[in-house]
Amino acid sequence: MSFWFTVIRQVGRNLRQTWMSQFMTLLTVSLSVLIFSLFYLIYVNMLTVSDQLSDDLRLIVYLEEEPVPEMQEQLRKKILAFDDVENITFISSEEAFEKFSEQLGSDRDVLEDMPKDFLPPSIEVTPLKTLRSLNQIQLFSGYLAKLPGTLKVQYGKDWMERFYHFTRLLSIVVLLSGSLLILTTIFMVAYTIRLTIMGRQDELELLKLVGATNNYIRTPFLLEGFLQGALGSTVGLASLFLLFQWITTRFTGQGFLNLVDFRFFPPATVAAIIGVSILLCAVGSHSSMRKYLRI
Amino acid sequence: MNVLTPDSMRNSATTPDTPMVELIKVFKRYPPDVSALTNISLSIGRGEKFFIIGRSGAGKTTLLKLISSMEPPTNGLIEVSGKSIQKLRGVKLARLRQKIGVAYQDFKLLLDRTAAENIAISMEVSYKKPQIIRNRVRSLLDQLDLADKHDTITAELSRGEQQRIALARAVANSPTMVLVDEPTGNLDADTTERVVKLLNNSHKSGATVVIATHDESIYRDTTSRIMELKGGMIHSLTGGIAQ
Repeated sequence: MSFWFTVIRQVGRNLRQTWMSQFMTLLTVSLSVLIFSLFYLIYVNMLTVSDQLSDDLRLIVYLEEEPVPEMQEQLRKKILAFDDVENITFISSEEAFEKFSEQLGSDRDVLEDMPKDFLPPSIEVTPLKTLRSLNQIQLFSGYLAKLPGTLKVQYGKDWMERFYHFTRLLSIVVLLSGSLLILTTIFMVAYTIRLTIMGRQDELELLKLVGATNNYIRTPFLLEGFLQGALGSTVGLASLFLLFQWITTRFTGQGFLNLVDFRFFPPATVAAIIGVSILLCAVGSHSSMRKYLRI
Repeated sequence: MNVLTPDSMRNSATTPDTPMVELIKVFKRYPPDVSALTNISLSIGRGEKFFIIGRSGAGKTTLLKLISSMEPPTNGLIEVSGKSIQKLRGVKLARLRQKIGVAYQDFKLLLDRTAAENIAISMEVSYKKPQIIRNRVRSLLDQLDLADKHDTITAELSRGEQQRIALARAVANSPTMVLVDEPTGNLDADTTERVVKLLNNSHKSGATVVIATHDESIYRDTTSRIMELKGGMIHSLTGGIAQ
């Protein structure tokens, strides 16, 4: 009889004998993975949205008066003195008027009586992709506001701040639910293995006396932890996938959801979540064995 | 009793001449201050059949527990097959235990398992093939007149039947040494005869057999050595010569 055949037989016997507590543990592991993965999925998708939005990020510096070419050159140098940027475009009052009139479309006649220079000239600054954190944008905006002849700097500040705080809150939720997952998983698996060990104390003592090696006694418990982790995380992720499918099918084409291209985890992330769950369950099982298995 | 010299004490290599069991000045005390064994020095040869007799509380079970490495001695040296069992750990200790079959006085059976499963356990830990295990279990149950109890849950068996299952488990893995504690305590004369026959078979196939008993019927006509314990000390050692 091979080692693994014997071990698998022992695991089967353990599962049969303690199926109720094993089932509860499986449920807890699945729920923990589901809760954590749900928040993590939202977080990952929000980061994608954030990336998409920051691709369109422009800082508009409104100027008091049209800068002459020498002044433009000076302003360009001052802007670049803060950091490299992707693009700097000077927009004259007339160009601004044209743009605005294009945006108004069929309502452009409201501008008929307006002078063509009623809009202030501006500089459109596209920052580098590396300069995308709210803090850096705020600093850059403050710097631009101090440029000579600047009226105001605009970059959708309120909206950006709200979005930034939302993603930060989400990252805290992901961290908390992640920690919860770690604690509950380790605790539940450790508790179940402890119950199994206590319920089988006589058998374990006998196995030791008839010459079972430590590996012979320990491996089934480790394998149980491994199975709890693999099965629990698979069930959790499968439930999340079904929930995800339902939400994307049910709410397609409605409001905000339509703006975002929601995606499920790539296979590597799925594998990582399952791998970490297995590891945590094995740790739980191992800690119980160290405490309660006297061999 | 063999004479022990410092040289023989130091030499722990296993040779055909190495005794199966060697105890040198062994003491066992239980807290608070109960002396179970006092100054036991003893050598049991390979393939020898050896009886330990004495009244209840004389120290027979304690001595078997020490030899089977179930408990450590308080003082002294115990060697089994040339290896000091106090120093053995992990896989080496497990391998040694696989070679020692023990039938405990309290049986140590798994009451929620069948008779066959209880016997098989000692062969499973040494990874015997399932077919070999099945055949051996059936053969042992036949020899002990328990063929019809193959699938019976052990808790449902009588004391005498449980005792025979414990004995079958002890000899199942063809160990090099069999330790038996009161093997006939709950048996009638007919079944006692079967048990003695099984132990004799094991002895004939080369195993060292150590039997702790107070049942005179099983050692009355023996030519084997008999050691009597009294109050935890060796009272007498009679009979044949160590092989």
